[in-house]
Amino acid sequence: MRVFKFIISLILTLGLIYILDNRWVIKETPIPPLGKFLDPFNGFWRNIEPVNFKGPDALNLDGLQENVTVVFDSLAIPHIFANNNLDLYYAQGYITARHRLWQMEFQTHAAAGRVSEITGAGKNELFLQYDRGQRRLGMVFGARHALEALSNNQDALIMIEKYTEGINAYIQSLDYKTLPFEYKLLDYQPEAWTPLKCALLLKNMAQTLSIGDKDIEMTNALKLFGWEMVDLLYPDREPVGDPIVENPGGWKFRINIPDSLPMALPEELIHIKRLPPSDPTTGSNNWAVSGNKTATGSPILCGDPHLNLNLPSIWYAIQLNAPGINALGVSLPGDPGIIIGCTDSIAWSLTNAQRDLVDWFKISFQDDTRNKYLLDNQWVDTEKVIEVFNVRDKPVFRDTVLYTHWGPIPYDENYRSDDNRKHYAFRWLSHDASNEFFAFYKLNRAQDHAGYMEALDYFDSPPNNFVFASMSGDIAMRVQGKYPIRRSKEGKFVLDGSKSTNGWTAFIPNEQNVMEKNPSRGFVSSANQYPVDATYPYYITATSFEAYRNRRINNVLNGLTQIQPEDMMKLQNDNYNLKAEESLPFFLSQLDSTTFTIAEKNAYQILSTWDYFNNKDSEGASYYEAWWDNLMPLLWDEMEKEGVTLRRPTTYNTIKLLREKPNLTFFDIQSTPEKETAREVIQKAFSASTTEMETWKEEHSNASAAWAEYKDSYIGHLMRLEPLGIHIKTGGNHDIVNAHARTHGPSWRMVVSLEKSGIKMWGVYPGGQSGNPGSTYYSNMLDPWVNGKYFPLLFLHHPEDAGNRVLYTTHLNRQK
Amino acid sequence: MKFVIQFVAILFSSHLLALFMPWYCIAFAAFVMGYLLKSNANFLAGFFAIAALWMFNAWLIDSDSSSDLAERVANLFALKHKTLLFLIMAAVGGLVGGFAALTGSLLRKL
Repeated sequence: MRVFKFIISLILTLGLIYILDNRWVIKETPIPPLGKFLDPFNGFWRNIEPVNFKGPDALNLDGLQENVTVVFDSLAIPHIFANNNLDLYYAQGYITARHRLWQMEFQTHAAAGRVSEITGAGKNELFLQYDRGQRRLGMVFGARHALEALSNNQDALIMIEKYTEGINAYIQSLDYKTLPFEYKLLDYQPEAWTPLKCALLLKNMAQTLSIGDKDIEMTNALKLFGWEMVDLLYPDREPVGDPIVENPGGWKFRINIPDSLPMALPEELIHIKRLPPSDPTTGSNNWAVSGNKTATGSPILCGDPHLNLNLPSIWYAIQLNAPGINALGVSLPGDPGIIIGCTDSIAWSLTNAQRDLVDWFKISFQDDTRNKYLLDNQWVDTEKVIEVFNVRDKPVFRDTVLYTHWGPIPYDENYRSDDNRKHYAFRWLSHDASNEFFAFYKLNRAQDHAGYMEALDYFDSPPNNFVFASMSGDIAMRVQGKYPIRRSKEGKFVLDGSKSTNGWTAFIPNEQNVMEKNPSRGFVSSANQYPVDATYPYYITATSFEAYRNRRINNVLNGLTQIQPEDMMKLQNDNYNLKAEESLPFFLSQLDSTTFTIAEKNAYQILSTWDYFNNKDSEGASYYEAWWDNLMPLLWDEMEKEGVTLRRPTTYNTIKLLREKPNLTFFDIQSTPEKETAREVIQKAFSASTTEMETWKEEHSNASAAWAEYKDSYIGHLMRLEPLGIHIKTGGNHDIVNAHARTHGPSWRMVVSLEKSGIKMWGVYPGGQSGNPGSTYYSNMLDPWVNGKYFPLLFLHHPEDAGNRVLYTTHLNRQK
Repeated sequence: MKFVIQFVAILFSSHLLALFMPWYCIAFAAFVMGYLLKSNANFLAGFFAIAALWMFNAWLIDSDSSSDLAERVANLFALKHKTLLFLIMAAVGGLVGGFAALTGSLLRKL
């Protein structure tokens, strides 16, 4: 009996330990290993940092050539002082990983289509299907090519290798107690970092910025609506805006455009449920004003890239100092170097220079085995790549992706397409070998305009508008990327993949890209608008170009003199809604006030007295945006056809058509028997939005609908765990200079004054340096960012210069 | 009195082990003290010793920080307040400690 009792008790104890030491999935909800996770000696509690947390004074690392000093300032921004490049990038890798390891790895997993290895397949296989999409778009295929290009470039190669070594040194130092929070929560271990992951991160950025296209949508539109309508709804260039560079008649080079015009395929309808595009409102602002417009007489350069806002933040601020380099700015955790920032003589920033960099080619297979396809009158072998998904808690999943001369075939009857007869291969610029790492390597060391130009020659994709200013007084803009030379209308529609001459045969030479230096207006600026005046000889098309921010920015810059950095901060936070100024009076004039309900009368009143600022407390902004959000789907209901991918015209063109073609057949709402014109649809959207506002106010027991409350912006955790996200109240919106929509917005705001006495930088981003949700520095910059505040950033020449702004200093000592 | 000695012994020995061992070292400590210092409420001694040890240490960490991670983790577990997270944590550690101490004492009886 006693033995029996003992055995029962022993089994209970051991069983309990087993259960609490392992992760369980109950009804698709994963439960972390509770004993391990909740243990205050090693579990998640150890990720909670004390208020006055300081890092170690010294660490011994065996990958160093010499000792390195890292000063962490009061924002926990590291200032790395190394005696050579090898140690510099090793230290950058090590220090970045210390703050951001989990994010770095998760983002590369996401790029490579490996999220389901961590999370499991997810509800309705959400994560697995996401992963399949990433593999089918050839993300790893592109990253491999980028790595191949690296092997010819010693400087860039060493940079990547030492950075990788530094990250791995940190990974090797970890035990369960020191593991970042998310690994504990999800119960897995980091794997070794590789150079491929660095390349994947750049491809990840390329995917955000340059994977957009409308070929399939335009092909369908052509079939359904005809040429005339396609030109009306989707013009290549909208009659609006200041181009980034205006130099009419100044493009004095001869160009060779291939003369054969590859036309759209025999008209056809393509039934594909396309992968969701990256947010079309993703964009950015940058500008530089010359010294004769500023109070100090020195140029000021500004930049705010607009991206999906997450925690941990997308950017990691850092200073890199070694012989030949002294640079300050923001880096992408997982990539060496600084992406946006300044050296001690120049500054630069980036905005997306979108252009059509994607083509779709129709493939004719020999038979149903799809082993061969037609190319230049020959049957060519298809490459079949078997993608393996080690889905957590599930058996291994395999997916076959077909590769052709053009690239992968993402959609087939196994993935988002129900038509097994038609196949389209995906050609994307970012699949090609290129060496952006070296571009940043050189940019981080550039001393003047010539150095900047030389660095950019290495930059292919994703194309960006690089704004520039130097201490010596130059300002410049360069629209840089590897742009295929296009025949007119080429790339707008799906192409015939059986002829290799239908592909990109040449690229615009770097020196013929759009650029300018010290223009007479005294400033350069870009905000994702159409890049150049109409005399530029190359054909340009893209999914869409920005129509509002650019004009507002140029307007304000034109009016300013004696500019102070504070004026620039004010402009970055500017909430003026130019789109509303141009559309609201017209919308209001279309309303029939005799039929107004009480709520509608009230809405009309609010809207007609609104000052067009999307400020936090503005009620007019809420009513206007709700109206617009109801109007678009009502107007373009024709674009939501079952199974056929189509695309709504742009915001600017929609407003233009409403004014100029009120009787356009598209404005008729298909689901109603009566025939609507612009006027009726505007009225219907007004009524619907007013009802929506009333419901919102009731649900939130608010008497008014302040814009920040109604917009309810949200900075989510990368893993989409609701309790780890933060709701914030801000003004702005897409199409506004302060481009903060609900989840997208200025991911980094930077102002740099290039004064002769030394460069001054101010910056802020919505998050913090630490990726640890248990750290004070996880989101310490969020509130200042919300309130439009900036931090003056330390730009040191010696570690000792930091004075009282040092949080702590860590000496990385060479292991003897 | 025996109970108090056993409680204190489990508390200190498991604290010591926890500094360099994985979380389940608490079971080892409780088991040994259950065996060596058998009381008339072995389970309770093990349970409360570990519960108290974990509560106190977690509280120390939490009160010394401006981070609200404990609150957020509570929310991740669908708990309204972090107090509940503390109680669940105490129960998790406590049950292991309790059963381990009980097992130790039962071995002694053999």
